[in-house]
Amino acid sequence: MTGFALARRTAARYKTRTTLAVAGVAIIAALNFDMLLLSRGLLISFADMIDSAGFDVRVTGSTGLPALRIPVAGAARLADDIRRLPEVDDVAIVRFEPALLRAADGRERQISLVGTSGGSTRGGWTLLRGRDIDSRDSRDSSNSIDSNESADSPPAVITRRLAADFGLEPGSVLRVRAGVPGERSVLPFLSYRVIGVANFSFEAAGEYTVATTLEGSRALGEGNPGDEADVVLVASKPEAGSDAAVAAIARLRPDLHVYSNQEVVEQFNRNGFAYFRQISLVLSTTTAVFTVLLVATLLTVSVNQRLGEIAALRAIGISRRHVAGMLLWESALLVGLGGAIALPLGGALAIGLDHILRRMPGLPEQLHFFVFEPRAVVLHAALLAATGVVAALYPVRIAVTLPIAATMRRELGS
Amino acid sequence: MTIVDARKLRRVFPMPAGPIEAVRDVSMSIAGGEYVAITGPSGCGKSTLLQLLGCVDTATSGSLSFEGRDIGRLSEIERTRIRLLRIGFVFQRFFLLPMLTAWENIELPQAEARIPARARIARTRELLEYVGLAERANHLPSQLSGGEMQRVAIARALANRPALLLADEPTGELDDETGEQVAALFDRVNRDGTAIVLVTHNGPLAARASVRLVMKSGMVVPA
Repeated sequence: MTGFALARRTAARYKTRTTLAVAGVAIIAALNFDMLLLSRGLLISFADMIDSAGFDVRVTGSTGLPALRIPVAGAARLADDIRRLPEVDDVAIVRFEPALLRAADGRERQISLVGTSGGSTRGGWTLLRGRDIDSRDSRDSSNSIDSNESADSPPAVITRRLAADFGLEPGSVLRVRAGVPGERSVLPFLSYRVIGVANFSFEAAGEYTVATTLEGSRALGEGNPGDEADVVLVASKPEAGSDAAVAAIARLRPDLHVYSNQEVVEQFNRNGFAYFRQISLVLSTTTAVFTVLLVATLLTVSVNQRLGEIAALRAIGISRRHVAGMLLWESALLVGLGGAIALPLGGALAIGLDHILRRMPGLPEQLHFFVFEPRAVVLHAALLAATGVVAALYPVRIAVTLPIAATMRRELGS
Repeated sequence: MTIVDARKLRRVFPMPAGPIEAVRDVSMSIAGGEYVAITGPSGCGKSTLLQLLGCVDTATSGSLSFEGRDIGRLSEIERTRIRLLRIGFVFQRFFLLPMLTAWENIELPQAEARIPARARIARTRELLEYVGLAERANHLPSQLSGGEMQRVAIARALANRPALLLADEPTGELDDETGEQVAALFDRVNRDGTAIVLVTHNGPLAARASVRLVMKSGMVVPA
C-alpha cells in the first residue's frame, strides 16, 4: 500500500474535511492564478496589439506620450529615404488629429482622425465590410465603391461603433472639421466618403476612430502642417530583422527616436507596467501564504486527530518515511485537486475582472489585463507544488517525531 | 532459543512533581514459543514494560537484547525494522486504519516489508481464514464488531510471521464471550509456535499463559 493510496483513502474517508479543504484551496488558488495572468497579461496584450499593426519599428520626433510628442517634419521625404534602406520592407506615415463629426441630424461628436500614407496594406484595424484605404486613394480619389461616393471627397474607414451609432455604411458621407467640442471655429465641415467599416486595435472604449489618407488628414484645415507625421511606422524585411532596421534608421536620422516593438514593450514594462507587476507579486505571495496556512492547519488538525493511529502505525513497524510520504501525498491531493479546479474558476474570474478593468476610459479596447499563457499554468502548478510541500512540513514533523510509547499511553488514557 | 533478554530494565518518567519510576530493575527472559501473562493493578508499569520489550520505548537504564541484538545500540530505523518483521503488536483499542478494509489492514505490514504481491495475497487470505474472517475481508473496521476488529488486529500482528506477539489488554474493550474467543485465538497462535507476552487485567485470560508474572510498583513480584 503506497503513501499515495493511503492518502487517497484518507481523503475519501474524511469527505467533509476534504471537500472544505479542496474548495478553500480552489478559491485561493484561483485568485493566485489570476494574479499570474495579471502579472504579464497587460504586457502580452500590449505586445500583441502593437505587433498586430504589421510594423515592427517606430520613428518619432521625441519620447513621451503620443499626444505630447514633437511631430516628425519632412515626413514624406523621410519615408522615401527609409523605404530605400535595404533592411526596410514597408513604411507608413501616421498623423493623429482630434476632429468633430456632424451627423445628418446635426449631432456633433468628437472623433480621432488617423491619417495614414497610402501604399500600405497594413494597419491598426481589421476591415469588416467595404474596402480598405490603398494606394489608389492617395493618387486617384475618384475610385469609388458605389455611385453615392463623392469623387472629390477623401476616403474614410470608420469604426464599427460609429457606423452603428450614426447609421453609416460604405457609400455614406461624413461631415468632419478639425477641432474639439466647445471650441469656436471658422473652419468648414468637409465631406469624407465612407469606403469601409473596421475594428480598430488601438481604439479606446467610447472613442470613435476614422482612418483616412494623409491627403484626407491635411485637407481638414488650413492650420494643418502639410508634411508632418506623429509617427513613422516601418516594417523591416524578415531576413534583416527589426534590430538591423532600427540601427539603419538611427544612422540615417540620428536626430529622431527609433524603437523596435520589443523596445517599446520593454519601455512599457519598465515604466507603465511596474505597478501591475508589483501588485500581482504582493497579492500572489499573500494568496500563496493563505494556501499554505489553510492546508497546514487542516493537515495539522487531521494529524492531531489521528495521533493514536499514527503511533500504532509506527509501533507495528511502518517507517517514518512512509508516514511522511502519506502526509505529503495528502497535502498534494488537497492542493492538486484545489489547484485543478482553480484553473477554470480563475479563468472565469479573470474574464469577469478583465471586462470590468477594460471599462476604464482611454484604454484601447483590444488591450487585456488578464491574458492566458501556458507559462502561467506551469508557474501555477510549480507554486502549488511548493505550497503543498511547505504546508505539509509541520504536520509531517509532528507525525515523524511522535513519541510512540507516550502517545499510545495518552491515547489509551483519554 | 531466547528471543528477549532484559537485564535490570528501568524506565523513569520525569514529571514536574518529581520523577516517576514506572519500571524498576526488571530482568526477564522470553524463550521461543513461551506464553507469558503479566498482571497487576493499574499504573503498576505493565504497559511500559511491554513497550520496552516491543522496542517502542527506550529504557532509562538496563539492557535489552532481542534475538541476540542489543536494542540500545540500534538506530531508530533498525528498531522499526525489528518491530515490522519480528514483533507483532495487538492493542486494546485495535488501532486498525479506518479507511482500509480488513484485507488491506493485514496486507499493510507485508507491503511495508516488501513481500511480493503473490505471497502477500496468499498470506492475507491464510490469516483471514485463520482468524475466521474470510467472509469479512472487504469490510471496513467500522463495519466490524469489536471482537472481529481485534481478530483482524491479531491477523495484522501475525502478518510478517513474528517471533514475538505483544498484546496490551487485548480483551479490555470486549465482552466476556468475545474476549473468550480472542483468548482462544491467542492459545492457537502460541500452539503454532509464536511467543506471546500479554498484559491484562483479565484473570481467566492470564490463567491460560504458561508463565504468569505480577507487577507491583514497577517491579515484577512473585505471583
